[in-house]
Amino acid sequence: MNAAAISAHIEPIRHEYAEGRSLILPALKYAQTEKGHLTREDIEAVAEATGFSAAYVESVASFYDRLYLQPTGQRVVSVCVTLSCMLRGSDELMERICDRAGVSHHGGTSEDGMITVQEAQCLGYCDHAPAVQVDAEQTRGPLTLDDADALVDELRTSPRPDELWR
Amino acid sequence: MADYAPVDLTAEGQVEFELNGRRVSAPAGTMLVDAAYALGVEVPIFCYEPRLGAPIGACRMCLVEIEGMRGLQTACSTPVQPDMVVRTNSDIAKDGQDGVLEFLLENHPLDCPVCDKGGECPLQDRTFRFGPGRTRFVEAKRHFPKPLDLSSVIALDRERCISCYRCVRFSQDVAEDKALVMQERGAAAEIATLTGDQYEGRFTGNVIDICPVGALTSIPYRFTARPWDVTNTPSICGHDATGTNVELTLREGHVARVTARPEPNYAVEEGWLSDLSRFAYEGNRAPDRLTAPLIRDDGRVKEASLDDAVDAAALVLGRGGRVGILVGPTATVEEGFLAQELARTALGGARIQRLGIPGAGLDAIRSQPRAELGDIDGAGLVVIVGGDPPNQQSIVELRVRKARRRGAAVITVGPRPHALEPVGTAVRSEPGRLAAAIAALDLPEAASTIVLWDEADLAAEPDAAGALARIVGDRGASQIELGADVNGAGLRALGLGAGDVLEAAAAGEIDTLLTIHADPLDGPGAADWGWALGRVRARIAIAAYASAVTDASTVVIPAATHYETDGVYVSMTGRAQRLRPGATAPAGAAPGWELLIALAHRLGAPPPYRSAARAFAAAAAARPALAGLDYDVIGVLGAPVAAVTPVSPNGVNGPREAAGTGLPLVTTTRIFGNAAAHRSEALASVRTGAELVLNPAEGERLGIADGARARLRSPHGECILAVRLAADHPAGAAFATTGVPGAGVERLLPADRGPVNVEIEAP
Ligand code: SF4
Ligand code: SF4
Ligand code: FES
Ligand code: FES
Repeated sequence: MNAAAISAHIEPIRHEYAEGRSLILPALKYAQTEKGHLTREDIEAVAEATGFSAAYVESVASFYDRLYLQPTGQRVVSVCVTLSCMLRGSDELMERICDRAGVSHHGGTSEDGMITVQEAQCLGYCDHAPAVQVDAEQTRGPLTLDDADALVDELRTSPRPDELWR
Repeated sequence: MADYAPVDLTAEGQVEFELNGRRVSAPAGTMLVDAAYALGVEVPIFCYEPRLGAPIGACRMCLVEIEGMRGLQTACSTPVQPDMVVRTNSDIAKDGQDGVLEFLLENHPLDCPVCDKGGECPLQDRTFRFGPGRTRFVEAKRHFPKPLDLSSVIALDRERCISCYRCVRFSQDVAEDKALVMQERGAAAEIATLTGDQYEGRFTGNVIDICPVGALTSIPYRFTARPWDVTNTPSICGHDATGTNVELTLREGHVARVTARPEPNYAVEEGWLSDLSRFAYEGNRAPDRLTAPLIRDDGRVKEASLDDAVDAAALVLGRGGRVGILVGPTATVEEGFLAQELARTALGGARIQRLGIPGAGLDAIRSQPRAELGDIDGAGLVVIVGGDPPNQQSIVELRVRKARRRGAAVITVGPRPHALEPVGTAVRSEPGRLAAAIAALDLPEAASTIVLWDEADLAAEPDAAGALARIVGDRGASQIELGADVNGAGLRALGLGAGDVLEAAAAGEIDTLLTIHADPLDGPGAADWGWALGRVRARIAIAAYASAVTDASTVVIPAATHYETDGVYVSMTGRAQRLRPGATAPAGAAPGWELLIALAHRLGAPPPYRSAARAFAAAAAARPALAGLDYDVIGVLGAPVAAVTPVSPNGVNGPREAAGTGLPLVTTTRIFGNAAAHRSEALASVRTGAELVLNPAEGERLGIADGARARLRSPHGECILAVRLAADHPAGAAFATTGVPGAGVERLLPADRGPVNVEIEAP
C-alpha cells in the first residue's frame, strides 16, 4: 500500500490520538488489509505517512502478534488457548483444526495457501469457550470438533474478503 | 564508559542527605547514582548513561533503599532530596541487587571464555561484586545462530543483550539516525535495524563503547586480545581538526583499537567518536606506509638505514642551495617549531611555510571570543556559516543536535547541502555570495549565541568573514572555527604562514625542498605546486606515507604517524592537547621531531634538547601564542592557547572574484571519502569516491546525463568525474568532492583554496 492511501486513512482520525506516534498502529493495521501481511514497502509507506523511521515502524509491527511481517494464508484462524478455553477443550480443538487444514499441531499455513492456523491468548469470549477468531472479523464459539471441520471447509471455499482486517 | 555524570561537590545549592549512615551533600537535581559515585559509593547500573538523555529506568540494577519510600527505588532516576536517608548496602538493597542480577543472567549465555567483552565487561564485573554466587534457573536459555553482522564493523550476539536500550537511545536520541530499534518482545526481544539494512552512519561505533555487555562488539577488534594483553593510552584523533580525545589500545606494538576514553573530555568530544576517528587506525599499517628510508641516486633507488638517510639529507640540505621547507597539516607543533629552528639556524635564510589556508582575512573573526565544543549545547542560538561539519568536523554534529534537543534555535547558511540543515532553519547562499546571505540573516534574540564558521569558505570570502566578525561582536556572541586542517591552529600559533615557499618556488628561487608530512602534489593547488616545484633540483621528504612527493625525492625518511609519536596538536577551538604514542613506529621510521633534531645535529646547529617535551617547552618559550604551556600544563585534557589579539573587522575587503569561466565550483567533502578512510580496511564498505553533483537543470543545459562522466577545467588544472544529478543541489554551481585519493579535484583549486569557476564538458 502506498503512503498516500495510508495518509488518507489516518488523517481523519489523527485528532483522536494525543501523540502522533500512536497513529502508527492504525496505519499498520490498515496497510495490512491489502495483502494480509506487511512488506518492507508497506513499512516504508507507513513510515512516510506517520513521519517515523522505517526501523521504528517495523519495531512496532514486530511487537504485535496480529501484525504479520511474513505472508499468511488467505484467512487466519486464531484458536484461543488461554485458561477458560483450555478447560473446555481448546487443545483438542486446535489439533482438529490443524489436522483439517493440513498443518502441524503448532499451527502454520496450509499448502494451498488458503488458511493459517495460530494459537491466540484470551479472545474475551470466555463465555463461549472454546472460541476461535477468523481474521479479526468474527469470533465464534463454543465450537465442537465437528464445527471445527465445518469451519475449515467453509473458509476453504469462501471468497477472499476485499480487505483483510486481522 | 562514562557511566556516571561528573558532579561538582563544591557548587552552590547543595542538598544535605544521609548516605549509608554518612551525612553528605550534593548539588540539588543530581541523580542519586551520580552523587553516590562522587562521594565514593558505587551503585551498580546498566541502562543509566547520562549522555543519552533523561534516565529511563530499564534495567533496575540501581535499586537502593530510601527510608520512608515503599519498596526499593532506582537511584539512576531519583534526584537527591534534602534529608533523604539512603542505604545502598543494607540487606534489603543487596537483596534487590541480587535479584536483578539473577534475573538478568537467567537468559544470559555466560559464555565469557569466548566472549570478546570478557575482562572488560560491566555485567561480569558487577555480577562478581554485587550479584548472587549462584543461579536457581534450570530451564533452557534462549539461543540464536550467532553472531549477526549489524554492519561491516559491528557484530551482534543477540543472546548476550540485556535489553538496556543504551544502543537504541544512542541511535534515536543522540545520533538521531533513528536506525536501531528493539524488535519483538519479551524473551524474543532483539536489537535490530530495518530488516535487510545495515547500521550505517557517521557515529555507529559508539554503540560498541556503551553496550554494557558483549552483545555489540567491534568486528575489526574481535578476538584480537584480552584486556590483560593490552595497554591503553590516552591520545588525540589525528583525522580532523576537532581534537577528539581517544584512547589507543596497544597490542604488540600496534594500535589494535581506538575507543572513547573512559573519562571523556566534556569540553571536546564528550566521549563520542566518529567512525572515522574510531576505525581509521587500520590505515596505520596500510600498504602505502613508508617503512624503510630510501636514497635516490641517478635514478637508482636504494634502501638505507635511518642514520645514513639523515646523513644524506643533511648533505643535500647543507650544499648551500636555497632551501624551502614545507610543513604539512598533520605535523605536530614540535615538528613545526623544529623546522622553523632549522630555517633560523642551520639553514639560515631558508623559506618555510605550512601547507594550508593563508586566511589573511580571518584575523577579525578569529579574534572574537572563542567557545569550546562543549559550550554548543548550552547555547540559545547556534549559527553555522558555510562548511559541512557532519562530514568534516563530525562530532560537531552531535553537539548541535544536542543543543537543538535542549531548545536552541539552529540556523545554517552556506552554499552546499549538509546533514545539519534539516535540524534548523537552512539558508542557501549563492556561491561566492556568503556576505550577502549573512547580511540578510534574521537572527532571533538569544541569551547566548555561538557562531560556527568554516575556515575554507570564509577564507575565500573575506568580506563575509568581516561581516560575521561584526555580528559576533555586536551580539556578544562567541565563535568556533570549523578548521580544515588537523593541526592548522597549532602551526599558525607558531607563526607559520602559508604562501612563502610556493611564491619563491614559482619564481625559481628554491633549489632544495624539505617536506615534513607534506604532500603538495595531492592537495589543493596540486597543479600549481607541480608547476612551481618543477624547478626544484633536490627534494628531501620526511613522510609517513608514499605520495607523488616521496616518489620523486632524493632522500625519503619514513616518519612516525600521530599514533606513534609524542607531540602537541592544537584543535580548531584553540585547545592544545597531547598525542601519546600508542604504537611503535616501524623499524625504519622515527618520530618527526627526532628526525629533525638529528638533522639539526648533522647540520652543525644542535638544539639544546633531546625530547619532544623539551622541544615543546622551547616552542612555548619562543612563541607568545603558546606562552605558559608545557606537557604538564596540557595534562590529560588539554589547555587553551592564547587568544588572538583583537583585530578590527573593518577594512577586510572582498568579495574575491572567482578565476576562470563557467560554473562556480563548490567543493564538498565526505567523511569516508579521504585518504585515511580509504586506507582502512574496516571502512572498506562505507568509503566513498569523488563525484560531480549538478542540479538536473544544469545537467540538461550542459547535455550531461546522470551517471555520465564529465571533464572539469579551471584556470589551474582539470580532472574527470562521474556525474550525479540531484534536485537538492541548487542550480548555478558545480559541486565536486575533494579529498578523495586519486580523483584530482584538488587540481582545479588554487593552493589557497580560493574561488574558481569550472568549465564542464563530456570528456
Ligand atoms: S557479556 Fe560479559 S558476562 Fe556475558 S558472556 Fe560476555 S563477558 Fe561474560
Ligand atoms: S545490545 Fe547492548 S546496548 Fe543494546 S540493548 Fe542490548 S545490552 Fe543494551
Ligand atoms: S480464554 Fe479463550 S476466550 Fe477467554
Ligand atoms: S541503571 Fe537504574 S534502572 Fe538501569
